[in-house]
Amino acid sequence: MEKGLLLKAEIREQSGSSNAAKIRKGGRIPAIVYGHKEEPVAISLDAHTLAEGLHHGHRVLDVQIGKKQEKMIIKDLQYDHLGKNIIHLDLMRVDVAEMIKVEVPVELKGTAKGTHEGGVVEVHADALEVECKVTDIPKSIVINVKEINVGDSIHASDVELPSGVKLVSAPSTLLLACNIVTEAKTTEELEAEMPTAPEVIGEVKEEAEETEEKSSSEEDK
Amino acid sequence: MAMMPKRVKYRKSQRGKMKGNASRGNFVAFGDYGLQALEGSWIDAKQIEAGRVAATHFLHREGKVYLRIFPYKPVSAKPLETRMGKGKGEPAFWVARVKPGQVCFEVGGVAENIAKQALSRVANKMPIKCRFIKRIHSL
Repeated sequence: MEKGLLLKAEIREQSGSSNAAKIRKGGRIPAIVYGHKEEPVAISLDAHTLAEGLHHGHRVLDVQIGKKQEKMIIKDLQYDHLGKNIIHLDLMRVDVAEMIKVEVPVELKGTAKGTHEGGVVEVHADALEVECKVTDIPKSIVINVKEINVGDSIHASDVELPSGVKLVSAPSTLLLACNIVTEAKTTEELEAEMPTAPEVIGEVKEEAEETEEKSSSEEDK
Repeated sequence: MAMMPKRVKYRKSQRGKMKGNASRGNFVAFGDYGLQALEGSWIDAKQIEAGRVAATHFLHREGKVYLRIFPYKPVSAKPLETRMGKGKGEPAFWVARVKPGQVCFEVGGVAENIAKQALSRVANKMPIKCRFIKRIHSL
């Protein structure tokens, strides 16, 4: 069972982006707590402790709001435009025995056989939605790609999930495929394909209308 | 001619303003590693093509290069030794509008050190500061 990270939360009295910016400046991260049909609560958490906890792979948090301690799961994380700093997080109240739906990242293991034959493993989906108990959330779903040849693909239905974990994503979801890399085109080849000037939408119509008008006026004469 | 759209609604466009940061296309979505813009700028079709050639040449058909930006904006210019006035000039080149955070290039199917070297060559062709990033899962 994953041990929850204990965080002390402060309730945010004021909402809005300028207030959230002030909170971030003070070394805290704004967050929202919801779930279990209770009223949503705006809180803030210590940025350093949270970042450290996330770095160690914690997804379930024990959050202390006032004197009340609740178990919560990180439902969503928002990063800044550079993907460096966390700017907001969504927390959902959970029970230990409750079945929840979560997204678990997919991790590839090994080198595909196809890569030695000029292929490249392309990842089409880097996470799978699964249903499991809060205590059974896997850190990642490991897929062994050693036996993947050129032209092979792995779908969600092919993945072996740990016991107690059910697949929620569509079984036909394409996770990865190994394809031959086509030789990149040279600049000359690309230039030959490209038009000298793009076609203007509507310009052809106008010309056609003009010719129609001319022909009708000639008929009138 | 380098990259440009096949069909456009209008031949010429106004310059526009570039405020704020990239709110879309700011994470690695196709490959494993990417080159992220740290500044905002217009990147013209020639520069994008130079970056693409630099990466593909370095990778020698190993791995795949993805372009995440496309020069869709026409920039017009007046011919040399022309007096001012007499209307807007003809389209001279095409640019992509890049805001801070935009992932411009991606590389997949190669080791990290190779991708880093390839993208560093691409970064040298760019008119802005860039950084090397990896694909991360949001949680």
